[in-house]
Amino acid sequence: MHPATSPTANAPAARGHRTLHRRSMLRRLTAAAVALPLLLGAAACGGEEEGADPDAKVELSIFWWGGEARAKLTEEALALYTAEHPNVTFKKTWQANQGYFDKLATLTAGGDAPDIFQIDDNYLTEYASRKTTLDLNKFKDDGKLDVSKFPESLWQYGVVDGKLSGVAFGENTQGLVYNKTLLQKNGLPEPTTGMTWEAFIAWAANVSKTAKIPGTQDPSADYKAFWVWLRQQGKDLYKGKELGFTAEDVTRWFELWKGARAQGATPTPDVIHEGNVTDITKQLVVTGKAGTSWVWANQLPELKKNTKDELGVIAYPGDPSAQWARASMYFSVFQKSKHADVAVDVINFLANDPEAGKILGTDRGLPSNLDVRKAVSESVTDPAMKLSIQVESELGAKFGPSPQVPLKGHSKIRAELIKAAEEVQYGRQDPAKSAAAFLEICKSAIA
Amino acid sequence: MALTTAPNPTPPARSSARTPAKARGSGRMRHGEGLAGYVFLSPWLIGLMAITAIPMLLSLYLSFTNYDILTDLSDVEWVGLANYERMFTADPSYWHSVQVTLSFALIAVPLKLAAALGVALLLNRAWRGVGLFRGLFYLPSLLGGSVALAIVWVSMFNRDGAFNSLLSLFGIEGKPWVNDPGWALETLMVLAIWQFGAPMVIFLAGLKQVPTELYEAASVDGAGRIRQFVSVTLPMLSPVIFFNLVLETINGFQGFTAAFVLSNGTGGPVDATLMYTLNLYITGFTELDMGYASAMAWVFLIAIALITALFFSTGRFWVHYSDGDGN
Repeated sequence: MHPATSPTANAPAARGHRTLHRRSMLRRLTAAAVALPLLLGAAACGGEEEGADPDAKVELSIFWWGGEARAKLTEEALALYTAEHPNVTFKKTWQANQGYFDKLATLTAGGDAPDIFQIDDNYLTEYASRKTTLDLNKFKDDGKLDVSKFPESLWQYGVVDGKLSGVAFGENTQGLVYNKTLLQKNGLPEPTTGMTWEAFIAWAANVSKTAKIPGTQDPSADYKAFWVWLRQQGKDLYKGKELGFTAEDVTRWFELWKGARAQGATPTPDVIHEGNVTDITKQLVVTGKAGTSWVWANQLPELKKNTKDELGVIAYPGDPSAQWARASMYFSVFQKSKHADVAVDVINFLANDPEAGKILGTDRGLPSNLDVRKAVSESVTDPAMKLSIQVESELGAKFGPSPQVPLKGHSKIRAELIKAAEEVQYGRQDPAKSAAAFLEICKSAIA
Repeated sequence: MALTTAPNPTPPARSSARTPAKARGSGRMRHGEGLAGYVFLSPWLIGLMAITAIPMLLSLYLSFTNYDILTDLSDVEWVGLANYERMFTADPSYWHSVQVTLSFALIAVPLKLAAALGVALLLNRAWRGVGLFRGLFYLPSLLGGSVALAIVWVSMFNRDGAFNSLLSLFGIEGKPWVNDPGWALETLMVLAIWQFGAPMVIFLAGLKQVPTELYEAASVDGAGRIRQFVSVTLPMLSPVIFFNLVLETINGFQGFTAAFVLSNGTGGPVDATLMYTLNLYITGFTELDMGYASAMAWVFLIAIALITALFFSTGRFWVHYSDGDGN
């Protein structure tokens, strides 16, 4: 380096000065090392303050899970919003369901959660109870968020501890999807809504025998099937802050399906396991490994995309009034969003605008707004979507009251039910012992 | 730095330090260079601080809290040793994951090293085309812990996968390997063993270092092939074996990708593939129990450090460092 670059070096007490200089350099270096991440963090948290000017440029971030079809529809609907409000643009991010909530949690931890995010009832309570979601009651009360056209029970399914934590975006209910083509080819009867569980299992055993394909996926690891069955027994998954069932209930549920396996109604444990852990596109009813799968009724069109066979859908066995109108998902606003007003307006638009409703269709479930729902069901052309709407509307007339939004710890309970049921399916544990262990874990999960 | 070459009254020897070559001898110049060194290092140093050191220390702090990832850091509660207590006394799935990880490492690592050494011995000869074989055997390691490889593995070891089709040629009825709780972990072990290329290449390099005189001397003394292997090859190779053992053990404990892909991130079937790191991930990111997951991470770090220290302390009994001349 050139001497001239450092004028301070010409000082007489050069030695001492140099040490000093070096020290202060080091100190500054350390300070910089510490400050840099802070600065970066501040920049990430910063962003422009929202002015009073309604035409100020706003960029909203929005995050959802889903496939390509959903992405296309959502982007189209958001573009419509931008066309009407040119100052508002969107930073859109989407991905498959697997890993979505890991990502959302990480973004939230970094203080960088999207302004608007899609969420479901597995996590709504987790997020709401940790003040991550904005309480939307204020917007509902001053008319900025209109849920007046929603079924009452549907928008209330977004209320956690008195706070409106998410706007129900689509309604669905449990649906048992079966392979029509397989049944017709073998001259077998179709299952019907209202069959008892025993009758259904006998039907499935008969399918296995005749069609040489297991009649039904074993749903003992499926929380929603277990839940419906519990409600038919006058129980529930949750009661207040407690569990709504006992170890005996779980044992009886496991015994029911142990019996079904003995009759040959269900696949081998490894195939059941495949159905338990894979996403919607690889459910056994579309991979041809079983005659029926236990899904949500609005997933029928998605299933249909993965098979050439005709599919049908009915309610889960037993009394269908145990089923309910569930919010298939919600849109929530991040509590620290800088543009909460605009974010709420966007959600309001997506939920209530007839044009946006037409674009979004039933991709996220039956539209929450009943007017939009009516318009959409009249204009739908896709036969699978038509069937799913028709069945859901028929079942809608029989629905019982909605249960409460699941407690914090719900996702853990779902995962543990799979393990407990599989222990029994693989024959590594008897139903009573597995049920008892499961109950202990559930208790600590919601504590 | 520039300032050291400025006119300097004391001492006389240093005042002449105007040329870089001489300046290097000066203590002050070394300081200057040291500082320059830090400046040049700063991109890495800042990265280390911001991305590794600070988060690590933070996670140590978090391991004593009930941090759940969604709550603000300023709102977390100090819970003392509760996370560690729960880990050691009240969490059966934790111990299950420890057991899964230990059995994975104890079986897969020695077999992988044995395979690597065996193949390295075979390839340490001068036939035509040996380079091609070295390349081929190394190939699986290039794919590393890739997701794509794990997906291929799952489809190969399904009930109707390629492996079972192969078995059926011999009239053997296969199992649903990856979906069978009794076999899923073993399938992962085979995957790990199959990727023996990296230690193999290191073994090959080590074998080339063994002086041929030793073999000549041994054969003059009447030692057969096995005797030569035991008395010459193994001792001469022991530093390389040691190196591979330490590295592969640490790798083995950290296995994550394949288990994650095989089980769709659940550790299933029935927790058969619930490796320690996978359990940690599920606890932190799916169950949002980040304080507890941090505690798990620190216990893991200490455990690996202890195991590595154990290797080093036993090393002096069996690792033979020569000066390269066989002395």
